Amino acid sequence: MLDLLLSKYNYWLYVILMMIGLYAMLAKRNLVKKLIGMNIFQTAVILFYVSISVKTGHVDVPILPYHHHGHEQAAINVAHYLNPLPHVLMLTAIVVSIATAGVALAVLILIYRKYGTLQEDEILKINKEVGA
Amino acid sequence: MKTFILALIIIAGSLLIYGTQDMPNWGDPQSPASTHVSPYYIQHSMIDMETPNIVSSVLADYRGYDTMGETTVIFTAAFVCLLLLRRRNKEQGDQ
Repeated sequence: MLDLLLSKYNYWLYVILMMIGLYAMLAKRNLVKKLIGMNIFQTAVILFYVSISVKTGHVDVPILPYHHHGHEQAAINVAHYLNPLPHVLMLTAIVVSIATAGVALAVLILIYRKYGTLQEDEILKINKEVGA
Repeated sequence: MKTFILALIIIAGSLLIYGTQDMPNWGDPQSPASTHVSPYYIQHSMIDMETPNIVSSVLADYRGYDTMGETTVIFTAAFVCLLLLRRRNKEQGDQ
């Protein structure tokens, strides 16, 4: 059990973070708090991917030594560099999360202009009164 | 309602934690993510692209089309923000 905890605790931390975000998305009544919950959820996914790229041992960031003379490079040992692929994918994911957050905040501004509140239940009440 | 959501989240979280049993250990150099295609990028980035930073060579060269789509996402998001937040002249009367 302790062995499992020591080798997988990173995933467990991200699961907890993800569930905090999911709880905020489902249970909070304020729309801004829901949006922040979605951002926490996305951050958990990003941290999960970045933690996949980690290798233990003598590991460097994925930046190769550069020689200007262009002679033959020494053989590159893959185990000496972090896995660059999750970093790249998470760059894309960060961009997408910023884009969704921006559009969602713009929609929230419109909702606030129309209803004067960002509480979900009050908005639903106003909708019901208008519809009746 | 809150207790129902809390129960749902505890169930989902414990299922996810149960699922991590099959995940590779933290920092395992032989994990599937580090053995399939990423060794190619690490070994050939300097030969193919002469870019020391592997992340930028993968982002801009190997997966350049992906990044082009990403800029489309950014453009669409900025455009939608502009369309949503533009104040229309006829609406300014009742603001």
